[in-house]
Formats: sequence, C-alpha cells, structure tokens
Amino acid sequence: MDEYAIGVLTSVGLLSFVATSAYLLLIAGELSFGQQAFFGVGAYAAGIATAMLGLPLFLGLLIAMACGAAVAALVGLPALRLRGLYFAMATLAAAEMLRILFELFHWQVEVGGEVVGPDGTQGFRGIRWVFERGVEPLGFLALVWGMLAVVLVVIHLLERTRLGSAVRALGEDPELAGTLGIDVLRLKLAVVAAAGALAALGGALFAHHNTYIEPRNFDIMLGVHTLAYALIGGLGTVVGPLLGVALDLGLLEGTRVFQGYRMIVFGGLVALLLIWRPRGLLDERVVHWLRTRR
Amino acid sequence: MLRVQDLVTAYGKIEALKGVSLEVAQGSITCLLGPNGAGKTTLMMTLAGILKPRSGSIRFSEDEITGLPPHAIVARGIALVPENRLVFPSMTVLENLQAGAYQRRSGFDDDIERMFTRFPRLKEREAQLAGTLSGGEQQMLAVARALMSRPKLLLMDEPSLGLAPLVVEEIFSIIAELHRDGATIFLVEQNAHMALRVAQRFYLMEQGRVTFSGDPGSLAEDEVIRRAYLGSSR
Amino acid sequence: MAPVVDFLQNCLDGLSAGAAYALLAVGFTLIFGVLRRANLSYGPAIMLGAYAATWLFLQTGAGLLVLFAVAVLATVLAGTYVERLCFAPHRKGAAAAAMVASFAIWMQLEELATLLLPRHLYAFPALYEGGPLTFGPFFVRVESLLILLAAVAVCVAGWKVLYATRFGIAVRAVIDDPRAAELSGIDVGAVSLRIFAVASAIGGATGFLIVASHEQVTPMLGMWSTLKGMLAMMLGGLGSLPGAIAGGLALGLIEAHSQWYFGPQFRDFIAYLLLFVLLAARPPWMNTRSAY
Repeated sequence: MDEYAIGVLTSVGLLSFVATSAYLLLIAGELSFGQQAFFGVGAYAAGIATAMLGLPLFLGLLIAMACGAAVAALVGLPALRLRGLYFAMATLAAAEMLRILFELFHWQVEVGGEVVGPDGTQGFRGIRWVFERGVEPLGFLALVWGMLAVVLVVIHLLERTRLGSAVRALGEDPELAGTLGIDVLRLKLAVVAAAGALAALGGALFAHHNTYIEPRNFDIMLGVHTLAYALIGGLGTVVGPLLGVALDLGLLEGTRVFQGYRMIVFGGLVALLLIWRPRGLLDERVVHWLRTRR
Repeated sequence: MLRVQDLVTAYGKIEALKGVSLEVAQGSITCLLGPNGAGKTTLMMTLAGILKPRSGSIRFSEDEITGLPPHAIVARGIALVPENRLVFPSMTVLENLQAGAYQRRSGFDDDIERMFTRFPRLKEREAQLAGTLSGGEQQMLAVARALMSRPKLLLMDEPSLGLAPLVVEEIFSIIAELHRDGATIFLVEQNAHMALRVAQRFYLMEQGRVTFSGDPGSLAEDEVIRRAYLGSSR
Repeated sequence: MAPVVDFLQNCLDGLSAGAAYALLAVGFTLIFGVLRRANLSYGPAIMLGAYAATWLFLQTGAGLLVLFAVAVLATVLAGTYVERLCFAPHRKGAAAAAMVASFAIWMQLEELATLLLPRHLYAFPALYEGGPLTFGPFFVRVESLLILLAAVAVCVAGWKVLYATRFGIAVRAVIDDPRAAELSGIDVGAVSLRIFAVASAIGGATGFLIVASHEQVTPMLGMWSTLKGMLAMMLGGLGSLPGAIAGGLALGLIEAHSQWYFGPQFRDFIAYLLLFVLLAARPPWMNTRSAY
C-alpha cells in the first residue's frame, strides 16, 4: 500500500475516534459542538506524558483517556441540565475556552539536549515516541485501527445491554426515561465522560502520528465536522460515524475531480442526504432491517 | 357535512386510528365519547390537518380534504378548538382574536365586537396577556379565536378539561347558544353527561375504532356512558 | 482621571462593536424564534453577500448604494436557498438534521465565496471618508454611529412590523405556539420562509456595513459573524429581540473591557466564560420565549 493511502486511512481512523464520541452524545439526545477540545486534551496529555515525562505510549494513552474523561466531566457537570441548543452552545463555549487555554499554555523542559513542550500558539513539537522506536506508518495504522476496532466492538456490545437501551431511551425522551427509573443526570454525565475519554484517545494517537500539535488543530471547524460525520453516517450503529468520516475523506482524496469545489459538492450532498435520511445513512430503521434479515 | 371513512392514522408502527368512519350532519351537535387513549384527539388532529392519515378519506361538503395542511383546512371552513386550549400566552386577548382571523382580509372588526358581546368576560380582559387568564377564560378565548375564522364546522376537543363545574356549565351553554345560532359542532368530550345533553348524535370510540353510534335518549345511553368512562369489558 | 477616561472610551468602543453584534444577533434570533433552530449558515450567507458586492465593485467600481443593494440581495438569495434545503424539509423532524444540514451548506457557501474571490484580503470602499468624531478626550468613529443608527432603525421597524401589521401577528403567533398558529389558519411554512428572508436582508445589510466600515473583506467574515451572532443571541436570552440587542451590546462592552484590562486572548475567553456561567446558572431571563 502506498504511503498516501496509508496516510488517508490513518486520518480516517483518527477522526473516527472523535466522530464516535460525538455519536455517543447524539444517541443520548444531545448535540455537542465541543468534542474537539477533548481531542486536544488527549493530544496534549499524551504528548506531555511521552515526550516530556518519558513514559511509554500505552501509559500516555491511558493518561490521555483519564484526562479526557475528567475534563469532560468537569465541563459537563454544570451543563448537565441544559438541553438542545443551550447544551450545544455550552459545549461550544467550553471548547473555545479550552482552546484559548492551550494557546496560553507554556511548559517546556529539556529532554536530551532539546527544549520540548507546549509553547502556546507555537504549538507542541517533538512528540516522537512512535518514530523513535522505528514504528512504520503501516504499523501505526494498524495500531490506530486496532484500537478503534476494540472501541467499536465494546460500544457495540454495550449498546445491546440495558445500559445501551437506557442511553437510547435518554436520547428519545428524557422525561419518559426518568419515569422508567433511569437516573437521567448520572447517565448523561457518564456518557459525557466516556465521550471525552474516547475523543482524548483519538487525540493522543493523533499527536503521536503528527509529532506536532497546535491549538489551531482543535478549533470549531473540527468540532462541527465531527458532529456532521456522526449524523450523516447514521445513528443506528456505532459504525455510522466511521462511515461518515470515510465518506468525506474518501470523497476528498478518492475523487480528485472535485478539486477546488469539494465542499460545494459534499455540502450539497449532505444536505440532500439529510432530507432523505434525517438520522443518517445507517439509521435505526436500516440497522433494524439489516439485523432482522439474518 | 363532514364524512369520515375508514380513516387510519399511525405513529410509526402504532395505529391510533384503525379505520374510523362517522358523519356529522349540518347544523347539528355531534359528540364523540370514549375512554382515554381511544384516539379521539388523534382524530381531531387528523381532521384539522396537523396529522396526516395513512389511508381513508375525509370529505367536507363533498370536497375531499384528506391530507391538506392545517391552514388549508381552516380556509375550507373548519376550525378546531384544541385540547388544552393552546391560546397564545404572550399575546393579548385581542391579538389572539386577530390571529384567529388571520385568513380574513376584511370585516373582522365587526366579528371582534360580536365576540366581545358573546363573551363579555373577554372584553373586560381585552388588553390582558392570554397566559394570565383563568382556565375558563382561556377556554372561551380559544372558542372565540376559532370562531373568528367564520368556520362552517367547529371542532372542539375536550372543552371541559380541567375546568370547575360551574365554568363547564357556562361553556356548554355557549355551545348550545352557538348551535341555536346555526353552527355545526363536532365535539369530543370526557364529560359524557354534559355532552349528551346538548348533542343530537353521538359516537363512541374505543381503541381506535367507532364502536357505537346513536341518538341521546335511546335505550343504550347508560351503556354508552359506562363504556365511555370505563372502556368496553368485552 | 485617565482610568475613567479609558473606561468610558472602552464603553464607547464596546457599544460601537456591540451594535454590529446586536444586528447579527437579531437575525439569528428571528430565525430561532420562529423556527426553533439555529441557522449555522447565517454568517456564511452574509459573507457571500459581502463577497458578491466586493466582486461587483472590482468588476465595475459601482457606488456604495448599489453595493449595498447587491449585498442584501445576494444574502437574501443565499438565505432562501438555505431555508428551502435545510429547514423546510425538517420542520416537523428533529433539529439536529436541520442544523447539521445548515453546517454543510455553510461549507458550501464559504467555498463558493472563495471561488468567487480567491485572495485572502480585498479592499472595500469606505462607508465614510472622514475621520472619527472627537469630543473632549473621547472619540467615536462615524461608521460606528451609522451602524448604531442601523440597529436602532431595525429595532423600530421590527417593532412596527411585529406589533402593527398582520404579518407581525402571524410571526408572534408562530413564535408563541406553532401548533396553535397552524390551527388559527396561519401557514407556518410561509411565515418561516418570509422571516428567513427578512433575517437575511438584515444580515446582508449588516455585512455590508461591517466590511464598509473596516474597508476590507476577508474569508473569516463567515465564521466570525456566526460566532459573534450566536454568542450575542445567547447572552441576551435566547429568543427575544430586545434580548438580542442587549446581548450584542453587552458582548461588545465585555470584549472592549476584557481586551483593555487583560489582553486580546482573554477578550474571547471572558466572553465564552460568561456565556458558560450564564448557561449553567440559568437565570430566569435566559429561559426561552420571554414576551416581546
């Protein structure tokens, strides 16, 4: 496989983490414009862990997930009772605040004769743990997709349990869910934290793939894009967001025909798609139909 | 005047109306009774155009009106006084009436005067925000607002809901008065006693179907009332 | 004495910027009030309008009045397109599809604009050729006064339309209770389309005023308008027109003071923080649908 294809596939994998985190919130009934911030939290946390504290990658990933969950819970807690556009705007405000904090974050240490660490708007370079150990692009691709596969399987299995039904009930009708004995607020907070951890894991991998991250990577455009991917891919299955990402990046790279007016085509297609399928391509009806054919 | 045939309305897979057929004669008060969940409000919403039926037909004065949007239904001369009144809370009583007359381009000032004569309490509260009115006053306002469009058929969904007995009496005397003045009214009511006192014909609806029809004063009335409150035990 | 002068000057600057934010917020609020949805394409439509005017200027050197008309017209066209494609089909459905669709069209409109004018910066004719007005130690740009005047005009006109016309009754009815409005014979779809056009016209005019007062046009206009407009709308309490104006002016004041005392990065941070805190605390005036 040529390097270019590997690059595209890796990007698809990385973005799928944050798109799936938006998906989790969507099926719980909320729009989040802020998952990109947790993507960033994970990136910075993992970068600090491996490049500055000399920890191995897997620890860096764990730390990233923990940070992602913690920050998400911290941000989610005051916003928990908000719904609809209010909740979405709260996530937007929080994400932008975090991004500005990244811009103000300066912490550099000397590692092996070099200055390494987040340097505000200049970004954070030198996250080279992966490359210093001679991991090939193909190997990293396998790592990203391996972890993504595990995550998707776990979520898929959880969706089949009572927990999964409770989350979807929350998304359909929170009042009704409450009367069914579901602790609505606790569940919502759990979903927020899990989504934060998931986005952070993606961010951690992203940081190690790029070796350089800057606050601009985690802006609103990423956030709204990932929300769109989750919705257009379909809310019926956890593979939906992945499909959404693949469609966009696939269209971008696969069809060079649209060079220069890719968004005109893609944007129009998305709007039309949503008229036909408001809950995405792989929505609950399609998934149900697919399942009952077995 | 109104003829409904085999009307089916569904929410996703759940059929709320399973093939409803009934008729409302011009100049009459027809009432629809039935236990909660029978589908009465769904029927009203379908007649008003808010819900689209899956199949069946609604004919109004020989015109097919099935599936028309709500504003077209109002244009044909059918107005609904909805369950829970649905007045415009942050608009004044007068503005609520003006909204009801939206499709009329002229002559509604006279009608507003007429409404205030028929409903003197509304005149007193002319400039008051509708959200601050009492339940009974809101009900009167909802009826007046519907009347502003000069409907040929007035649909009423549970006008006595949540109102004190004295107020309910007042509402029903207004209904009788409207009828005396020539209105055709199709009325859904939980309060079967009051409804049967004013109606010329009634239907009983259970679980999405019409199961009984007749005139008040026929021998089946007690049975009907029992089933209207408790549902059929068969 | 000097800190007081600074404070008051910052207030003037804040109100000047805030007038533009207020106008943006009014457009968002009209759409949100009637459709219950946030239109993420509002900023980009405004940008397309400004770009259309710029393109015309570059081709023909047309005068300000013509450019104004073109900006408004182009924005209204774009807005109508967005309404038909992203909002009309989802009227009875979930808001998520409408908002994501409007985001997709945001991308589309922005790309269209940059295809029209590919460079990062374009000059735009000045709204006013002279310098700022000074009185004592204070100065105010005439352009800002013009924008403030426009905001006042929109308020007055809006008030008249909402409270003295038949259309106004229909709009307020839909805002109050869309179902009751339908039952009263109001064509909610038609009202939505018309309000979208009105909001787009206001947006187009605002975009023109902003680029003419800065004498330049950049591709950031789309995102900037969306962010400022939505932020101002929410600060003022979602869904109320006076709230939109107040929110816009408040945002301008907050930004001016934050920037003065804490620097440009904190300017945005504090605005977002304030919004977040307000949302979390949910004071009563923030809750939907206060009386107009």
